[in-house]
Amino acid sequence: MIEFNDVTYSYREEDHNALDHISLKFRRGEWTSVIGHNGSGKSTLVKLLMGVLEGYTGEIRIDGEVLTEENLQDIRRRFAIVFQNPDNQFVGATVEDDVAFGLENNGVERDEMVRKVEEALRAVNMLEFRTHEPSRLSGGQKQRVAIAGALAMEPDLLILDEATSMLDPQGRRDVLEILGQIHKDKMTTIIYITHDLAEIGVSDHAVVMKDGSVINEGTVDEIYHDTEALISSRLVLPFTIWMADRLLEGCYMLYDELVERL
Amino acid sequence: MLSKMLLGRYIPGTSLVHRIDPRAKIIAVLLFMIIVFFANHWTGYLLLILFVLSLTKLAGLSLIFLFNGLKLILLLIIFTFMMHLFFTKGGTVLVDAGWFTIETEGIIRGVYITIRLAMLILITTLLTLTTSPLSLTDAIERICRPLKALRVPVHEIAMMMSISLRFIPTLMDETEKIIKAQSARGSTFMTGSLRARLNALTPIFIPLFISAFKRAEEMAVAMEVRGYHGEKGRTSYRVLDWQFKDTAVIIMMVLFGIVLFMIRQ
Repeated sequence: MIEFNDVTYSYREEDHNALDHISLKFRRGEWTSVIGHNGSGKSTLVKLLMGVLEGYTGEIRIDGEVLTEENLQDIRRRFAIVFQNPDNQFVGATVEDDVAFGLENNGVERDEMVRKVEEALRAVNMLEFRTHEPSRLSGGQKQRVAIAGALAMEPDLLILDEATSMLDPQGRRDVLEILGQIHKDKMTTIIYITHDLAEIGVSDHAVVMKDGSVINEGTVDEIYHDTEALISSRLVLPFTIWMADRLLEGCYMLYDELVERL
Repeated sequence: MLSKMLLGRYIPGTSLVHRIDPRAKIIAVLLFMIIVFFANHWTGYLLLILFVLSLTKLAGLSLIFLFNGLKLILLLIIFTFMMHLFFTKGGTVLVDAGWFTIETEGIIRGVYITIRLAMLILITTLLTLTTSPLSLTDAIERICRPLKALRVPVHEIAMMMSISLRFIPTLMDETEKIIKAQSARGSTFMTGSLRARLNALTPIFIPLFISAFKRAEEMAVAMEVRGYHGEKGRTSYRVLDWQFKDTAVIIMMVLFGIVLFMIRQ
């Protein structure tokens, strides 16, 4: 569905490439996690996709169509993104205003808007807070509102750019649970960007990035299996994986491997 | 003291005054600002006072509460009263201390001006106390819409206002955090000469500004990817619903003005 073909990008003030000849595929209906340490280029990836950053080489194709200036508005209408900082993406003065913001921008009729806002808030369990101001919400609640704002647009693709990294454990759990529900119910394609290996468990596919390159890619099992790639990209292994790795080399087995050994 | 300040604050409620369309309230307050100058006799002033007091009652706010919140403004009112007391001449001389005199006309004018000022402040405070900043912004946007013909960017200004309002609590929290962080590093803000205290504010404002710019940038990106491209083709989630009671408010205000005008002497 989304294809990065040999994409290279560098920030003006830096001499190395933030993305270095990246080729990647994100498939429709899948939950893809992109894992990487700070500065690995994982956020740059989505910024290019959403047209926030310009001036890269290579091409990005969406459903076979090359991303250009002309179809960017249309793409933004179909993709929704939730950023890291809960405060800095809350545009509306109240919860429902914020959820409606994207709909307003796209000129949706008011009656339809009211219905969609309500539906989206219900999906993230925030309906009872609809008239609240952002200053009265916790970080996790604000992120749930941001997700509702994204859902209200009925996007083909939902991108979460470190959306849980500023939340407390409870907020993190809530957000992940809701995302799982949405992914299951609506088959929404999800790109989940994180540096926390413990959060990738639910994804269908995962990509490990380091210094602007993809160093490993596969199912979650395959990712966990290759601990070397994870350690070399300075990621913190989840405790159980670390333990298994220490106790016995190659203890984290793929399914086939396990069957064979048994 | 700041927590008691009422200027610009909003007290949520469900009274009739709260429920009037914000556009009607703004127009009524503007009318009142003109009407205040119709009164030139004690009956007129009495009516003004009664009018504002009954509005306060209707809004479910207590006078003591208002008075406490407006103490700072009181200084201004007393000052204007004093100016009239000492410098307006006419009528019989009450006090003659050689280098200054107090005359009856001075007292009367002073009292009248005081009432005018106090009523103006009260009614505008009532407006902000009973109307959320958000609906005020909405109302101002709608009222100013005709200015668009003169190329005034009404929508953009309203958008900026509502985002600023939304960020006030966020930046307040941030300021508090920075003050704590700097205090923990040994900064003192409450002691020393005025100069020293002003200097001590620098380590608060610089981080605050940096983070505000960072927030603004992130906010701009978030708005952009959510499809914000100015006013063109945009619909509005919030609607203002002008009802009969709102027209009635304006009519009442006009009638009140006419009555005050009739009893002029």
